[in-house]
Amino acid sequence: MEQMYAYKCTKCGKLHHPRYVVCQNPDCDGREFTEVELGGKCKLLTWTRVYNLPEGYMQPWLHFGVVEFENGVRVTGQIGFDEGIESGMELLATVGVVRTRSILYKESIDCKETGFVFVKP
Amino acid sequence: MRQVGIVGVGHAKFGKTNGSFLDMLCEAALLAMDDAGAKTGRKNVIEQVLVASMGAGMVNRVSGAASAVVDALNIRPAMAETIENGPASGASAVKLGVMAIASGMCDCVLVIGGEAMREVTGWEGTDFVATMLHPTAEYKYGLTLPSFAGMFTRLCMDRFGVESKDLSIVSVKNHDNACHNPVAHIQRPVVLERITNPAYINATNPIVADPLRQFDMCPVSDGAAAVLLVAKDKQDELGFAHKPFIRVAGIASATDTHVVANRENPSDLLAVRLSAQKAYKMAGIGPEDIDVAELHDAFQILEIEESEEAGLFPRGQGHIAARNGDTKVGGKMPINTSGGLKAKGHPLGATGVSQIIELVRQLRGEAEGRQVEGAKTGLAVNFGGFGNNVVATILTTK
Repeated sequence: MEQMYAYKCTKCGKLHHPRYVVCQNPDCDGREFTEVELGGKCKLLTWTRVYNLPEGYMQPWLHFGVVEFENGVRVTGQIGFDEGIESGMELLATVGVVRTRSILYKESIDCKETGFVFVKP
Repeated sequence: MRQVGIVGVGHAKFGKTNGSFLDMLCEAALLAMDDAGAKTGRKNVIEQVLVASMGAGMVNRVSGAASAVVDALNIRPAMAETIENGPASGASAVKLGVMAIASGMCDCVLVIGGEAMREVTGWEGTDFVATMLHPTAEYKYGLTLPSFAGMFTRLCMDRFGVESKDLSIVSVKNHDNACHNPVAHIQRPVVLERITNPAYINATNPIVADPLRQFDMCPVSDGAAAVLLVAKDKQDELGFAHKPFIRVAGIASATDTHVVANRENPSDLLAVRLSAQKAYKMAGIGPEDIDVAELHDAFQILEIEESEEAGLFPRGQGHIAARNGDTKVGGKMPINTSGGLKAKGHPLGATGVSQIIELVRQLRGEAEGRQVEGAKTGLAVNFGGFGNNVVATILTTK
């Protein structure tokens, strides 16, 4: 299973997700970051169930949510279950396949991309 | 600074184009030029053409649109550039045109905004619009603009007590307004009870991105719109003395985080607030001086929240104002008299220009059937990304 990361500024310690090239702290100009594992317990801030998915998704719907980790980092990802979703609930951030892209070059290659999938603890 | 104003407007009908993307741009351009009395060929006085489009290269396989339009209109050797700033491309292009004239580089600039989004399937169109999201933190998950609008709406419901019915009230108002706008995509009234009655709401108004339903968001439209900008000190010399000069009193833009989750408060629209404040400052006025507003209601929640962030109503009171009818024509603060993106349509690159045209119609007293009596100053808010790049424009007759 792949690991997702937050990126810690080596100068001021601010945590980021996704990876940035310059620290987002307005009082810092750091450009170097160390990886900090990001996953596990988080709180759901808001969510949606979407029916008009873009090209490439064959599901009838998908759930998405914004969560906040205990270290304050917020991320957006897919919610991996259908029933009982409520803002404020505690979730577990895991890593799963969030998109499969078919790349057509001589032969078709399925390219799987991974990201946050939130599940019930 | 040199005074810059609008002397010509042209608006192709929004909906489904019968011609090509370039034909549509030229139709709007010629309408604006004819409105002002601008000539082609040797008598041309337009020095620069700016074409606003988010995805002509991606969707229509047309790049270098501005160069093509200048040639088609026979106004060579005018400068020509194509401008892309997502759904705020239109107002961004107007801003650049104003800057070109204010700086003294040009005296007359034609700005055209256009998008032909219905050349591709809905799935492809949804994907194309979603490409403005962050590639690894948002887009790759299958997130779209309606996804973010759904999550944003839920936050506003929790924070301010906005109800689903409030979104429908805004939608009904905008559909009513569009019935009086001959260039609107959907000129059809909507009955509130038909889209809110729990007995059949899932049939008449199905969920698209929970809690958002079909009538809580704009349709997919083709369309083009154009304005002709001139310097006040050259209006007579260039042959536009007979046209009213609608002055661009303020125009400004501001940005916010690309990743929506990283905003300090994800239910705020900081770039709307900052761009509006900058535009008010440039114009030397405040929100209390605005008579009519065109706000970017790609989703009905945005009309409510933008009306607050732009200072037209106190924070948390926008939905109450909509409930009270304050935002209707004849209300205290009429919003989206054109029908808004909801009913007039939202061809991305055209939208910012189209909003400005509605203000010009209102300030000239030409908005038949939807005229705000005595309107002298108007505000337009053109919203790019999910609020990460916003342009605010103030027009006035004063």
